[in-house]
Amino acid sequence: MLFQEKQLEADGFKIRYWEAGQGRPVVMFDPTGWRESVLHDALAEQYQVFSLELPGTGGSPVNTESESIGDLASTAAKAAASITSEKYTLAGTSFGASVALWQTILSPEQVEALILVSPMSIKPQQVPTAADAADAHRVLFAHEENAAKRSHISQDIYDKESELSRRLGVGVHDAEVEARLGDIHCPTLAVFGQEDHFVTPEAPRVYREKIPNCNIALVYDSGHCIIGDRPEALVNAVVDYAEHWETFIIGHQSGLINP
Amino acid sequence: MKASMFAGMGYSQRATFPSIWPVSPVHADPETSVQSYREGMDECELAEEMGFDWLSFSEHHYSGRIATGTPSVMASAVAERCKKIKIALLGHLLPLNNPVRVAEELALLDNLSNGRLVAGFLRGTPNEDQVYTVNPAEGRGRLLEGMDLILKALTEPEPFSWEGRYYQFRTVAVWPRLVQQPLPQVVVGTRSDDTVRYAAEHRLGLGVSFLPVGETAKITDKYRLWCEEAGWTPGPDDIVYRGSIYVAETDKLANEWFESLTQSRPGPNIPMRRTVSEAIQAARTGNTFDLRGVVAGSPEGDVVGNSLGINFLGGPDTVASQIKEFHDRCGVGVIDMPFQQNKVDHKAVMKEIELFGKEVIPQIREFE
Repeated sequence: MLFQEKQLEADGFKIRYWEAGQGRPVVMFDPTGWRESVLHDALAEQYQVFSLELPGTGGSPVNTESESIGDLASTAAKAAASITSEKYTLAGTSFGASVALWQTILSPEQVEALILVSPMSIKPQQVPTAADAADAHRVLFAHEENAAKRSHISQDIYDKESELSRRLGVGVHDAEVEARLGDIHCPTLAVFGQEDHFVTPEAPRVYREKIPNCNIALVYDSGHCIIGDRPEALVNAVVDYAEHWETFIIGHQSGLINP
Repeated sequence: MKASMFAGMGYSQRATFPSIWPVSPVHADPETSVQSYREGMDECELAEEMGFDWLSFSEHHYSGRIATGTPSVMASAVAERCKKIKIALLGHLLPLNNPVRVAEELALLDNLSNGRLVAGFLRGTPNEDQVYTVNPAEGRGRLLEGMDLILKALTEPEPFSWEGRYYQFRTVAVWPRLVQQPLPQVVVGTRSDDTVRYAAEHRLGLGVSFLPVGETAKITDKYRLWCEEAGWTPGPDDIVYRGSIYVAETDKLANEWFESLTQSRPGPNIPMRRTVSEAIQAARTGNTFDLRGVVAGSPEGDVVGNSLGINFLGGPDTVASQIKEFHDRCGVGVIDMPFQQNKVDHKAVMKEIELFGKEVIPQIREFE
């Protein structure tokens, strides 16, 4: 699936985004380097997908304006509103999930369904400080061979994003967002790798307990970067949820062997 | 007429559960749970002592209201404590299970109980389809094929392979063989024409649950007609009715109990999120479901299926007369009752079992 690169402006930021597919809109916030994936291709088969580069990440300039994740989420909501007037499914991964969570709380009228992949806002866990971008890349995966299959981000981007994350409090428990999870009324899926060392094992249940319509999906044998460790499993869960929301728990696949 | 107690083995604090399925395991305290199963087995022992003919167990998942996700494990434990009463698995949910495994469990239980097994096959309530992610549209096909495979696996003395629509096994040779030859009594729990017809054509019993007497009679009339067409007449034990019950010393006391229920009144349906419930029903009936046409609400506000009603309610004479209606109009020969209701504790259940045994069973024995 060919994604077209485009640009928009919101809150004074020039924001790149990539668009493909037709159908109901899906807005995605992805970590740098995880954007070109089978998940994006699979979603674009059925939906109009907009993958946004959040200010201060990837190839965008250093972001010194956003003062909190909520602040960045407000910018993201304006950006999304400028590219689609319809309600959309919002999907965020890792840091992008933190932004998506805040955006759904701040702009609930825009979000039809929320998909959080490896969210870190609730009960994050300290991982050893990485020496460099390559070192940071390795701890994202359950298996080294999966890490080796994907190139890590450049040291410049790593330094820039690390500084933004530190300043916005990424990786620190967000008590305010936890207190407001009950305000999220759209169907919500939170997906975690079973070997994700960036969050505690207790984190998933908090989403389930506090968001009124929330399902939890645990991906076996995966670390934080599920798209790297178990891409087919992630695609299966996310695409099913985007289509069926909370009814994705119903079996839709046929078990027929021979008619 | 015979009496059966449906041993739900419910968690004793079930009245505190939220009105939604599944019930989060966080509500289960292990100590209370252990005590609840002990109390449930005490109820089974008392039922045997009071003259009940069967104890029944049913597969239900993800809730402490009926806390027997693996009914054959529960039935095995009870079979060891209760030495004479029939052990009725009513039953396994066939679309969810490996039919060969079910056959093996039934055969083992018939051996452990020394030939006291009654086997039952069910499709299950709509929520159960989600437990092992079975496509609801294929539940009926799985049930029909599963029954065929189990009956073959239990009766075929030589290894065979099975090339089914939903199941493929290249070698089946179930051990141990049944104590009851060629088969124990088998009951098909259903309301659907195709499975009622299956039961009639295979000379199996029929189980109907929780419907009013008029609705039940329509089903049993068809069953008896199709049995005649298949060349046989069902015996008294072949038509089983499962209905909820609350029996007290007097009608007044029973009615007062019922009126005291302000919410979560006992009923046959399982409360689920409305979108999920409607999507399953649509899949089961081959219809489409517009998910985005349904506005999601709060978990509580979104729930359906919390119906009112109880099948048998009153003093002993009243309950006996209500049961007689099912006997006379539907040909029911075995009445299967869950005494554990939502707000009836263990002590009260024991009292009901004793009351039923002493004052109702002698009356229903006379129904011929």
